[in-house]
Amino acid sequence: MSASDDQADVERALAGDVSAFEGIVRRWQTPLVNLAYRFCHDRGRSEDMAQEAFLRAYRGLAQWRKDAVFSTWLFALATNLYRSELRRIPARTLSLEDIAEPTDARASDGNLEDRDYDRDMTVRRAVFALPAKYREALILFYFHDMDVTTAARSLGLPEGTVKARLFRGREILRNKLPQLLAVPHLKEA
Amino acid sequence: MRRLTEHDEAEINSILSREDEILPSSGFTVSVMDAVRREATAPSPIPFPWKRALPGLVVAGLALVLILISIIAAIAQLGKATTPQLSMSVPSAMPPIFSGGIKSAAIWTMLALLMTFVSVKLSMRLASGRV
Repeated sequence: MSASDDQADVERALAGDVSAFEGIVRRWQTPLVNLAYRFCHDRGRSEDMAQEAFLRAYRGLAQWRKDAVFSTWLFALATNLYRSELRRIPARTLSLEDIAEPTDARASDGNLEDRDYDRDMTVRRAVFALPAKYREALILFYFHDMDVTTAARSLGLPEGTVKARLFRGREILRNKLPQLLAVPHLKEA
Repeated sequence: MRRLTEHDEAEINSILSREDEILPSSGFTVSVMDAVRREATAPSPIPFPWKRALPGLVVAGLALVLILISIIAAIAQLGKATTPQLSMSVPSAMPPIFSGGIKSAAIWTMLALLMTFVSVKLSMRLASGRV
């Protein structure tokens, strides 16, 4: 994915060539749909949200000031949209207390891979049940390959705030899922 | 509450950074581009008719200024009135509506109704584009 391709397509689209926007859609559809999916965990809704994000990007192309790369602007726009969409119609979530956790991860009958899979799914469900400000910070941080700067830009927050929210979010997870995340410590003991 | 250790953080990082990727459905690009083309060909929103609304706005602004001036004048007259015989001086300082009796009140009411009628008619003409 090249920034110059994005810039060229934006300039053509702004000059009236609507089909140039297709290049942008093709390049960024997978990341935008995946980001939406991480917010709502609903495949159909994630495509609707991503489509709306592309439409808003098209309407606001002239507002991209080129002081940041196009993708940063696009992700910030999409993140804002997804957050407000989720505030408008919240996704179906469980409370942290309702997240199922095996009584002892070591005692499970399944094989190691199955147990790892179950544990991963439980932790992801728990992220989804976190309060919005921690959940959003975690979603953006892991979506952007653990890049705090990019996550902060997408959220429109200072890096320090995002770091604090990440820490607090992980701490809540740690305390709500002690059994799942405690196994290595028990082994060490 | 247990504090988060580096090991905990690494473990959570390892779990959450492995999230599966989904692929958009095959018709997604087409669907987005259809919506974009509809957006591009849609007529631009109708701008507010400033030219038509300007006379009404000017009249409304002037009326507001006149009302403010009369209120300020009334307040200034009240301030000038001496306090010892307040009950006697107040009626003379008030606008005519308070001192002219029923006839004056009827005139003011008629004026208000007329203004309302004119503004309703004007806004209806503006809305229907016949100005």
